[in-house]
Amino acid sequence: MAKKSTLNQALLSGNEALAQGAYEAGLSVACAYPGTPSTEILEVLAGFPEVDAQWSVNEKVAFEVALGAATAGARSLFACKHVGLNVAMDPLMTASYTGVLAGFVIVVCDDPGMHSSQNEQDTRWVALYSKMPMLEPASPAEAKEYVREAFAMSERFDTPVILRMTTRISHTKENVTIGERKVPERPVFERNAPKYVMVPGHAYQRHILVEKRLEKLKAVAERTRLNRIEKGTGKIGFITSGVSYQYLKENYPDASYLKLGMSYPFCDDKIRQFAKSVKKLVAVEELDPFIEEHVKALGIKVTAKHPSFRIGELTPELIPDLVAAKVKREQRSAKRKPRLCPECPHWASFAALKKIDAYVAGDIGCYTLACLPPMSALHSCLCMGAGVTFHEGWRKGAPGKCIVGVVGDSTFVHSGITGLINAAYNRTKGVIVILDNSTTAMTGGQQHPATGLTIRNEPTKKLILEDLCRACGADNVDVVDPKELARFRAILEKRINEDALSVIISRHPCKLLKRQVSSQP
Amino acid sequence: MNDRVYSITFGGIGGQGVLKASEICSWAALFAGYHVKKSEVHGMAQRGGSVESHVRFGKRVFSPLVPTGGADFLVCFYKDECLRLSVFLKKDGVDLTSYLDRASQAIDNPRGLNTCLVGVLSARLPIKEEFWLKAIETVFKGKGVEENKKIFLDGRKMGQS
Repeated sequence: MAKKSTLNQALLSGNEALAQGAYEAGLSVACAYPGTPSTEILEVLAGFPEVDAQWSVNEKVAFEVALGAATAGARSLFACKHVGLNVAMDPLMTASYTGVLAGFVIVVCDDPGMHSSQNEQDTRWVALYSKMPMLEPASPAEAKEYVREAFAMSERFDTPVILRMTTRISHTKENVTIGERKVPERPVFERNAPKYVMVPGHAYQRHILVEKRLEKLKAVAERTRLNRIEKGTGKIGFITSGVSYQYLKENYPDASYLKLGMSYPFCDDKIRQFAKSVKKLVAVEELDPFIEEHVKALGIKVTAKHPSFRIGELTPELIPDLVAAKVKREQRSAKRKPRLCPECPHWASFAALKKIDAYVAGDIGCYTLACLPPMSALHSCLCMGAGVTFHEGWRKGAPGKCIVGVVGDSTFVHSGITGLINAAYNRTKGVIVILDNSTTAMTGGQQHPATGLTIRNEPTKKLILEDLCRACGADNVDVVDPKELARFRAILEKRINEDALSVIISRHPCKLLKRQVSSQP
Repeated sequence: MNDRVYSITFGGIGGQGVLKASEICSWAALFAGYHVKKSEVHGMAQRGGSVESHVRFGKRVFSPLVPTGGADFLVCFYKDECLRLSVFLKKDGVDLTSYLDRASQAIDNPRGLNTCLVGVLSARLPIKEEFWLKAIETVFKGKGVEENKKIFLDGRKMGQS
């Protein structure tokens, strides 16, 4: 048996390893809104006293605070899930132009297979779209190593760097070596309007620099060891990235590999060289044909997967069919589906909504599970905050129907407030129910402004939802415990029949939250 | 160390300690000097859904997932789930489901079922007892360490007989 020291080794998940790596690289500011599979990154970072870590109100806010810190001289990190990045796209696109002062890393965790998401978008396109470099680890140990590379690259090329994870990398655990924290010297914060004030004249000049930067980064892609050629003895050569590489190595140990650890910009010369060295080139990647389309655009003959393989997460047993360009065989799952916990306060809220036979515009959280039978009492789920705005839209599209909007407390603070102001401003009537279980339950119970506690469970200013709703323009704001069934139902029936904009705050703490509190010493 | 990679699939439902069991096994392999990968499939386990956890260890491990027909051992804490998960077993793989009833009878506290079956499993893996016990200390962090060590050793004896 190999006697390797296990002294500095820990079994860390991809998210934990990434956080550890960022910490060791001298990270000082980290911001995120919770979202599976990215949540643990900030939870781990909040455990380091040297890191200023926060749950932000939403991803746009988180991105801007972290980028602000980076442009003022602190190594910073923003973490989100793929759909969270959509919320931060506005600052992201222009951050490519402003660049940074100290390193800024954007961590995005995609969710192929939608273990806990509403779609399975492939964030690699965002690197292409925003003209920013992207690194893509294939294991937790690589996640730790790559985040250090990302900070160095960010500072050297004056650009945010996107680090793309997937659920399988984020939630796999592996041996990881723990190291020392080294904080680089802080650059000096100075006013620099042409760089940070993006008015058209300045932005034009910055865009010129962005295009030049992309050329320099292409040269980096050619020589970086993150893009690695492994020469095998077989005839087949795989161009691949992320966890697909691991599945291929299991199935084809003798093949040659071009493993892309830097997935954007591409290393065109290396791809050409690799393609020439193998009899048959096969592109293997999860979700979209990102590598495939680029290789084809280079005029290189490549075998790629059937389009049916663009859907869902890859698993090792799918690989042979994928490599043979066959159609994906759909496997039926007999897995037990999740459902609302017994005694969850949402059961009571939805029982009342079911009694009035409402069309319920829903939102994102545990309560989305109320769409499943036998409850079947939630009828839409699009994105964060759309419970409030779909309510307004449905009333316009289907006048006379009994329509109610529902949104969770954390989700309301994230993206529902603007919708409520919009409803009041545009003279919308009707009922919005805020399902207030006083936590961000679906992602495991994180704090948010209306809980009055920070990411480190320290007391802070508490957002009072009832005051906020009145200020937004709601005519009536009721606070009711849904477990008081008769009272809750009476208020709901009263408000639904009024010509007014009403918010009912259905307040009862999450059952799991109580367990967390009571288990504390 | 030979090139062999050991693959174990753990399964059950939310709240049964599936992840704790796979965690003990992974730490034990790490302490024994192996490269380990542990991967979980648990969309929303807290909400009562299926939980499965894959542990693979050896000199070098690539895939974090056990492929169908690739598990040397199946350790399952819930009978309905065993049927679904048996697709992971190799032709000559060992299904430890047969120990489920015996283990349930042997323990006083049903919460110890996961540790007991890890004990049964341990008797069949090339990892020394000291590393298993160190793993239990690491995973339980002071809370219930002694109780779990005892349950583990009972399970280990059951597996050895």
